[in-house]
Parts: sequence; C-alpha cells; structure tokens
Amino acid sequence: MGQVIVITSGKGGVGKTTTTANIGTGLALLKHRKVVMIDADIGLRNLDVVMGLENRIVYDLVDVVQGVCRLKQALIRDKRFENLYLLPAAQTKDKNAVSPEQMKNLCEQLREDFDYVLVDCPAGIEQGFKNAIAGADKAIIVTTPEVSAVRDADRVIGLLEAEGLNEPQLIINRIRPDMVKRGDMMDIDDIIDILAIDLLGVIPEDERIVISTNRGEPAVADENSKAGQAYRNIARRLEGENIPIMSLDVEPTLMERIKMLFGLRSRR
Amino acid sequence: MSQKTVVIKGTKDGISIILRRHSDFNTIKNSIFEKLQKGGEFFRGGQARLLVKEGYISQEEMEQLEMMLKEFGLNLKKDPPLYTVPYPNPPQPETLVLKKTLRSGQRISYSGNVVIVGDANPGSEIIAKGDILVFGALQGMAHAGADGDVNSIVAAYRLQPTQLRIADVISRPPEGKNIIPQVPEIARLKDGVIIIEPLCLP
Repeated sequence: MGQVIVITSGKGGVGKTTTTANIGTGLALLKHRKVVMIDADIGLRNLDVVMGLENRIVYDLVDVVQGVCRLKQALIRDKRFENLYLLPAAQTKDKNAVSPEQMKNLCEQLREDFDYVLVDCPAGIEQGFKNAIAGADKAIIVTTPEVSAVRDADRVIGLLEAEGLNEPQLIINRIRPDMVKRGDMMDIDDIIDILAIDLLGVIPEDERIVISTNRGEPAVADENSKAGQAYRNIARRLEGENIPIMSLDVEPTLMERIKMLFGLRSRR
Repeated sequence: MSQKTVVIKGTKDGISIILRRHSDFNTIKNSIFEKLQKGGEFFRGGQARLLVKEGYISQEEMEQLEMMLKEFGLNLKKDPPLYTVPYPNPPQPETLVLKKTLRSGQRISYSGNVVIVGDANPGSEIIAKGDILVFGALQGMAHAGADGDVNSIVAAYRLQPTQLRIADVISRPPEGKNIIPQVPEIARLKDGVIIIEPLCLP
C-alpha cells in the first residue's frame, strides 16, 4: 500500500507543479519507487507540459472517473524514468467534472499498485482543492518567501487540519540567498515561525528550472542544477533519510547563518 | 403471400387503390380490372388515388392504369405524388467554418468537416467526422475521421500538432525534435500509418 501525498499551496505560481514533477521524478530515479503523479488541475493542466508528456495524452482523469476508459489506459508511462507514471487532467472540462468521492476512490485504486501517489493540487481553495485533498493522507505545502504566499499557505494549513490532514510538511521555494542576506527577503525561520510546521526542504531560485520546465525535463535529473539538488534531497528525506538542509550559497556568511539556524553541516 | 397485391378502399374523396407489387404488372392490372368490374357502374364519375406500398410503377404502366380506370369512369388523381423514390445520393457531410483562434481548453467537435481560419493553439482539440483544415498554425490535437473514416485528412498552413489522430490511428511528432514546417502540409493514412507530406499545389 502506497501513500497519497497532495502538493498544495493556496497561492498560484509558487511552484506546486514543478515540485510535483521533481519529487515524483526524484523518487522514481533515486529510490526506484513506483510513482504516479496525478494532475488535479482540471481545465488548466500543466504537469503534462512540465514533464514533456503532453503529446502522449489520449485519455485523462475525467475519462477514468466517467468510465470512458480504464485507469491503466489513461496512465502515461514516462519512458525516461522507470516506474514513473502520469495521470493527466482534462483540459476541456472544469473542476466540477470530478467529485471528492471519485478522487478518493481513484487514489485508493492507485495506492494498490504504487508506492507514491502524488496529487498536484490546483491553486485556490475551491472545488479543485477539495478534490485534490480528498484522497490524500499527507500534504506538502509549497510557499515562496513572500508575505502573500505565506499567508495563503497558513490558510491552507488550517483548511487541511479541518479535513483531518494534520502535520503537513513545508517546502520553501525560490529563495534568493543574496536577498535574504540583505534583509530584503523573508528568512527561512521567519516563515517557520509563522507556519509552525516541519520543513521538508528549501529550493533556491535557479534559472535552470525555467530551462528544464520549458524543455519538459525535470531539474531533479540535472546534476548541475542547485534546485535539482534540493529536490533530490527532498526525495531522500521523504524516504526517511536524514539529510540536512543544504547550504544556499557559497558565500561564507550565509553558510554560517544557515549552519547557525540548523546547527548542521551543509552540502550533502 | 401474406398481403394482397391489390386492395381497394373507399375514402371520402374517392377510392384508394393500394398496390403491393409482388407479381408482374399484368396480374396487377387484371386484379384491378376484376375488382372494378364487380362494382359495375358504382365507380363511374369518381376519383381514384394510387398508393404503391411496395415496389414501384413505371410511368408507362401508370398510363396504362389511367386508361383502364377511365373505362370505368374513374379519374386518376396524380397529386400528391403517387410514389416516392429514395433520394439517390446521401447528403454530403457539412463543413463548419470558424474564423477564430482556437485556444487551450477549447474543443470543437463536429459531425462533418472542420475548417479553422486562424490558429489552433496547444491544448485545443479539434474532432471531426470528416477532414480538418487549418488556415494557420495547428499546434493542438486534431482528430479527423473520428467515426473511423480512414480517408480523412488533416491539413494545415503550419502543421505542428501535439498529437494527430486519423480514424483510430494516433501519432505524435518525433521525440526531441522541434521541427517547424516551412510549407503547408497534409497528414493522411497510408497502410495504417499517418504520413505527413508537403501540401503541393499542381
């Protein structure tokens, strides 16, 4: 029996889809886990594009739920990474095409065959969000070091608790060490202070993410990408490995600062 | 023979002769003759209608019947049409012409041909029972011959689809290559495989 993890944020554009793609790929690549990623963003699907699998879609989540096809027919196997599958969203329907009960059933079916079922949640807290979290037994919150994103993350954590999804884990995305150093950006511990949940990882701002997203190749497979390294660490942490939060910059002052924060050595 | 070849019924505006042509014309003619003769002078001055339920009556045979009915003093009414012939050509599928840009998430599904005067962006879907023509860049999904017509085609000014489907064959552009076509192209089925060729004008 695998676990169902929803990746959510409340605010849009903080990197839910990128995170889903990279964690999913990371788990399949590094840990040889059998992973399926579900794009729950019906009507605004993106995960297929980020994964570079858009042109292989024949059936989608809505087709499965409505019984147009069997679940196995809609799953797209990623040929580059063994054990990695995608269940794409429909683009021509809307969120109301699926009910939370149907999503729950779908997740139950998938967890029979997979070690990880990752659900990429749409932005917002409406129907799409309710669908995405329906079948989950664990949540990962993605936020960026911005007041608005943190505020929305806080709201979502409250909503998750109301649904019985306790102890979500946090990923802070797109952090810029130079700005943090100047005091122009929220610090990791500022965010942790507000949200008071476990930190799963910190992803530095990395222009390679833009390149890899546009190419449809997850950055986690790119050895030279700092963000990719951070995602590799997150995949390992999800598997129970004890890996310290990596240093975000080569500048010694910041390294010291982070070491001070976590009392750990950096650079795995 | 379960049903009689000739049935004569009286109606308020004359008589109706209902024909089921199971046998040759002379038998029918004789049958009508016999029935009318039994009536003697009863039918004189009346109106008659001919309904052909099965088979058909040629123009020549019709004239013979008309002559015979005249002898009994019956006038054959020719309208409404006495018999109908199925329309020889089934109607051709109609064509839907759209002058707009088809955007992501928009889906056109039509029971004939589809012509888009504009672009079909990635994430859009065109599904047609007939052919698909795009006077612009086709970057979305296109499914021609959705009912299984293997002779359907997809043609576009710039054919760069995410996925192409003709009848029940699915294909997608080759992996890793982003080829931008410089000429209009046409996709069709050949030996069960979708092939793409430049759309050459003679």
